[in-house]
Amino acid sequence: MATPELTPAAAENAALQDLNADYTERYGFHDAENYLYKAPKGLTRELVQKISEFKSEPGWMRAFRLKSLDHFLARPMPTWGSPMLAEVDFDDIHYFVRASERAERSWDDVPEDVKKTFDRLGIPEAERQFLAGVGAQYESESVYHQVNEQLQAQGVVFMDMDTALREHEHLVKEYIGTLIPPNDNKLAALNSAVWSGGSFVYVPPGVHVEMPLQAYFRINTENMGQFERTIIIADEGSYVHYVEGCTAPTYSSDSLHSAVVELFAKPGARIRYTTVQNWSSNVFNLVTKRARADTDATVEWVDCNLGSKLTMKYPSVYLMGERAHGEILSIAFAGHGQHQDAGGKIIHAAPNTTSNIFAKSISKDGGRSSYRGLLEVAKGAHGAKSKVVCDALLLDERSRSDTYPTIRIGEDDVDVGHEATVSKVGEEQLFYLMSHGIDEEEASKLIVNGFIEPIVKELPMEYAVEMNRLIELQMEGSIG
Amino acid sequence: MKTVELVDVCPLSELPPGSSRIVEWEDLEIGVFNCAGDLLAIEDRCSHDNGPLAEGEFDESACTVECPRHGSLFDLRTGAPKTLPAYVAVDTFPVRVEDNMIKLEVD
Repeated sequence: MATPELTPAAAENAALQDLNADYTERYGFHDAENYLYKAPKGLTRELVQKISEFKSEPGWMRAFRLKSLDHFLARPMPTWGSPMLAEVDFDDIHYFVRASERAERSWDDVPEDVKKTFDRLGIPEAERQFLAGVGAQYESESVYHQVNEQLQAQGVVFMDMDTALREHEHLVKEYIGTLIPPNDNKLAALNSAVWSGGSFVYVPPGVHVEMPLQAYFRINTENMGQFERTIIIADEGSYVHYVEGCTAPTYSSDSLHSAVVELFAKPGARIRYTTVQNWSSNVFNLVTKRARADTDATVEWVDCNLGSKLTMKYPSVYLMGERAHGEILSIAFAGHGQHQDAGGKIIHAAPNTTSNIFAKSISKDGGRSSYRGLLEVAKGAHGAKSKVVCDALLLDERSRSDTYPTIRIGEDDVDVGHEATVSKVGEEQLFYLMSHGIDEEEASKLIVNGFIEPIVKELPMEYAVEMNRLIELQMEGSIG
Repeated sequence: MKTVELVDVCPLSELPPGSSRIVEWEDLEIGVFNCAGDLLAIEDRCSHDNGPLAEGEFDESACTVECPRHGSLFDLRTGAPKTLPAYVAVDTFPVRVEDNMIKLEVD
């Protein structure tokens, strides 16, 4: 918090130190490493085979991994996105760390150190209070997964992917890699080669999961790579809301998080997938997320990116059935040293499909946020309607915002709108608020809160409160 | 009225089961596959980004070809993609054998 005695620059530095101190206290701590197995740094064919052997996987999955490794090795690193991408050192990563024997169904059975971490992050309490199920992943694998009994009785499956591969092999085999093939991009190939953990959700026809399912992802060790793989299948007419959160300790060297998430919304189903990404500022977050919506189905991505060093993530929805609806709500907050390259993609592949993309970004202290989006209407997708709105707020002269929208329309009878704004926190707005006795810092917070409110209000209340707290924290000391 | 033209591909003996080849006709390139004895032909163009398709991995048992650029699997019988990112079918062409010569029907 700025004090009158400090110069503006010193006040800002002090505020940033406060910010880091809070992250360290709340999320940035790390535990002693009592691991069952920690792979040496680097990626080899032997390691990929070893991961598969550790998990006693069927032969087809081992072949899937090895073929994916070949794709990863053959592909160059993308040259678009962010110059920071060149800093990723694939040889300086631990690709597999096993902290516990299996995913437990009782918190009491989770190893003590790991349990303490999740206690500190408030996860068991959240499960008791407002969640229908919880998954907790620590390093490479899930340490806990539980779904409430009533939902289990209705046939809802919520388990970690490693268990799903054992217990529902035919479903995993049928769906994995069908929306995001291993060869889709270099990072998807990497994930496909070394994936571990993640969630598998199946909701039977007509079942509405009223409370959210949550997965919490935690990196503990330095130079860690976390590669979870998630599949959600919402069968006809069903509904599910899945929420994920993630944090890591703050280290001086980099870690890598590269997930692949595939969502299948069958006819009339609805999936909402909410992410509150708050990785520490040494994590590269390079994620591929894609959804398929069949006839009358709805998929909504609510994507909040606050943490990480670099995030490149563009959740997409393929509207494959008539009247399907896709929605992407994205918030990106880029502070000092951060680049949030986020956005979304919607593909209208069927008639009378509808979509919205609302993206909001805030840049401060030299941070950079980019909106990168694609809206595509295929030939034959007549009657498609879409609206894309991306707004950027710059809090100072040193920060940066870019917008890279792509729109491809292959049909005449469509209704497509695109709006983009970039604004600075206006003198006039500040003056108005300050004339009512509100100090400058408080006034800026109010303006930022008002800016992101349309998206934050879409979060479950507990997360909206947390998001407002995080934004407030990020905003402290922003007025020098 | 459409006029069908026949394009020579190769003698049947040069395209045994499990093999494929690419032929050119006017400005089109077409992949011809021998899928366990069934002769199938699809346009050599992925509908995702118009890159080459037929040189990708051919799975004879599933009768699919995998786009070498982004991994979409195409059904050789229908031309339809079985996986994203492609979502539009590519053209297919009838194939026949006359006097031990594989021929493509194009129009």
